[in-house]
Amino acid sequence: MFHALVAVKQVPDTTNIRIDPETGNLVREGVPAIMNPYDAHALAEAIRWKRQLGGKVTVVSMGPPNFVVTIREAIEMGADRGVLVSDRKFAGADTLATSYVLAETIQAIHEEDPIDVVFFGKQAIDGDTAQVGPGVAVRMGLPIVTYVVKIRELDLERRRIVAERKTERWTEVIELPLPALLTCEKEIAEIPFAPLPDLIRSLRYDPEMWTMSGPLEFDKGQVGVRGSPTIVFKMGTPPLPEAGEKIDAREVGVAEAVKQTFAKADAAGILDTVLGGAR
Amino acid sequence: MSTNEKIRFDAIVVGAGLAGSAAAMVMARAGLNVALIERGRKPGGKNYFGGAIYTHAIQEVLPDFMERRPPFERPVTEAGFWFLSSDGGLTKMMTSGGKLANEPADAYMALRATFDLWWAEQAQKEGAFLIPKTTVTDFIRAEDGRVIGVITDRPDGELYAPVVIICEGVNNLLTQKLGLISHDLVPAHQALAFKQVLSLPMETINARFGLPDAQHGVAASVLGDISLGLPGMGFIYTNKTTISVGLGVMLETLIEYRLKPYEVLQRYLQHPAIAPLVEGGQLLEYGGHLIPEGGWREMPKLYTGGAMVAGDAASMVNALHWEGTNMAIIAGKVAGETAVVAHQRGDFSEQTLARYEEQLREGFILRDMKQYRNFSKFLDTHPQFMDVYPSFLNDALGNFFSAYGKPKRQLFKEIYGSLTGRRPLFKAVGDIISMGRAVLGW
Repeated sequence: MFHALVAVKQVPDTTNIRIDPETGNLVREGVPAIMNPYDAHALAEAIRWKRQLGGKVTVVSMGPPNFVVTIREAIEMGADRGVLVSDRKFAGADTLATSYVLAETIQAIHEEDPIDVVFFGKQAIDGDTAQVGPGVAVRMGLPIVTYVVKIRELDLERRRIVAERKTERWTEVIELPLPALLTCEKEIAEIPFAPLPDLIRSLRYDPEMWTMSGPLEFDKGQVGVRGSPTIVFKMGTPPLPEAGEKIDAREVGVAEAVKQTFAKADAAGILDTVLGGAR
Repeated sequence: MSTNEKIRFDAIVVGAGLAGSAAAMVMARAGLNVALIERGRKPGGKNYFGGAIYTHAIQEVLPDFMERRPPFERPVTEAGFWFLSSDGGLTKMMTSGGKLANEPADAYMALRATFDLWWAEQAQKEGAFLIPKTTVTDFIRAEDGRVIGVITDRPDGELYAPVVIICEGVNNLLTQKLGLISHDLVPAHQALAFKQVLSLPMETINARFGLPDAQHGVAASVLGDISLGLPGMGFIYTNKTTISVGLGVMLETLIEYRLKPYEVLQRYLQHPAIAPLVEGGQLLEYGGHLIPEGGWREMPKLYTGGAMVAGDAASMVNALHWEGTNMAIIAGKVAGETAVVAHQRGDFSEQTLARYEEQLREGFILRDMKQYRNFSKFLDTHPQFMDVYPSFLNDALGNFFSAYGKPKRQLFKEIYGSLTGRRPLFKAVGDIISMGRAVLGW
């Protein structure tokens, strides 16, 4: 039987978000909370394999109690079990502290009920760090592929998975042994419209709440603000890039246009970079 | 994880609006296992009105409603008509104090996105089971044709219950599907209401509308120049830190004259009497919604075996009095009570559910609907109430309260002339009589 674990995060819908121009902070007021879209697509892929192979999908999230909404959404999509790791002491966690808590949690679930594949979204749309998935893989000692766009093969008997990974220039095809961890792009699967029985089950579902007081023992020094060495100095919106300058080759001729372009790059001190790209 | 087990409830309500949540509340309170199905992500997400909401209806369903902190905006402490003329004039006929000073108020300004959500939460607190993001597309019928469940747009999306209350709103596709009404929506019977919600500081709203604080508010029906002399009525409502301002025009009129709602609304907002009230307001929302204004003659049959219809889906709107939300709530309640009775009898036949209509006949809803049955037609055939008389009123009062150093006899002649110049006296008298007939239902 297939057992997939999907880590999901609840995020503000950043398509609706504003940055306070004075403080540089995200204005979260009135912004709807959603399941991180990359996580949702990863979950859809896990559920697709569950439906194909038989088995189950467990979702895990770390966050405040209102993350229950996102766990329920995962159940609606077809997940079987939801664990919310939630405690005031976890507040203020950076990616290091978060990957510690998630790795401990997933490891505990794995020991109780062996996991074949751990799915993450490639990153969360509120932080864009893409660090927690790899952080968990390292802590758990799992092989990892990031930016997965497709699972070609998932063979439970031969204990192997073949994934396609998108890079800027080509697609890598990687085979790795199970259990493995994947961080996924949106292309990996479409989010299906959930059947009514799943929706109804999700509306009644209360996830398991794991806290500092149990069932796991977390190291106080590694969670929340204490476990987070990251310091945010400043946040702000980058200035809008200025419109580029156009050199029209039809007017000045191609040779002249090229010459002018390199002269400008040289003047701007980026000639090496431009040439480096061409090498 | 689809199972072959059927999903069963004691009752299904389609639509978590004002009627639907009221019905669900009543049934859940009586111990029924109720599914409240809503197509939006949240109750209220698809709903829109002017608007103010009347408390008499809320109180009938939820006597302790004020303790449950409804998300009201300001109470309506001043209400009435504003008549605009095309030369910038404004005549107000407003009332305040008296009944409008009641506590809790008879009506409160509200926004549907927050109010409907709260209203559905009260149904959930009674035990109703809210199923969001799901659209009912059809019915499951027994061999004898009785409704025994619904089909939704989701995979494995059948739900069973011996009684279904349809509160699907103005676009009553399910009501049509059941054959309770024989035709689709007709533009002649639908008004399109559209409005802007403009944000202004609380103090600015207080100052502009002459209100002492946010515990006072104005609700005005605006007639005259705004609707270009076409059958339509404007409104302006003061919320806590926003103003809802808009108007409703018959859909057929918009189509016939090729009017764009936002152009009509812009013209209204630029009227010299309105512009200073909304000046500097930041646009938070712009939206519109259909209102079923066909009245009595466009009401569907209200029940059949295993199903009842309430609210906008049943055309329960009294356009002149801005009533609709209260009718929806009361009709939802009565339909819910009827479902409870049907459960007690174990009989969901058409004969049992006829109680719903009988009860509505005894209350104000069907009596009012019948009395006003000619009203929307009356407005259609008497557009002078939209331009001639509001302008005349402005002229007449303007003359009355001005001194020109002329004998008063001449002044009265001019006032009389400003009426007869617009509309011959015998026609004006005729208009008054037909308005009386339309309102009184003769």
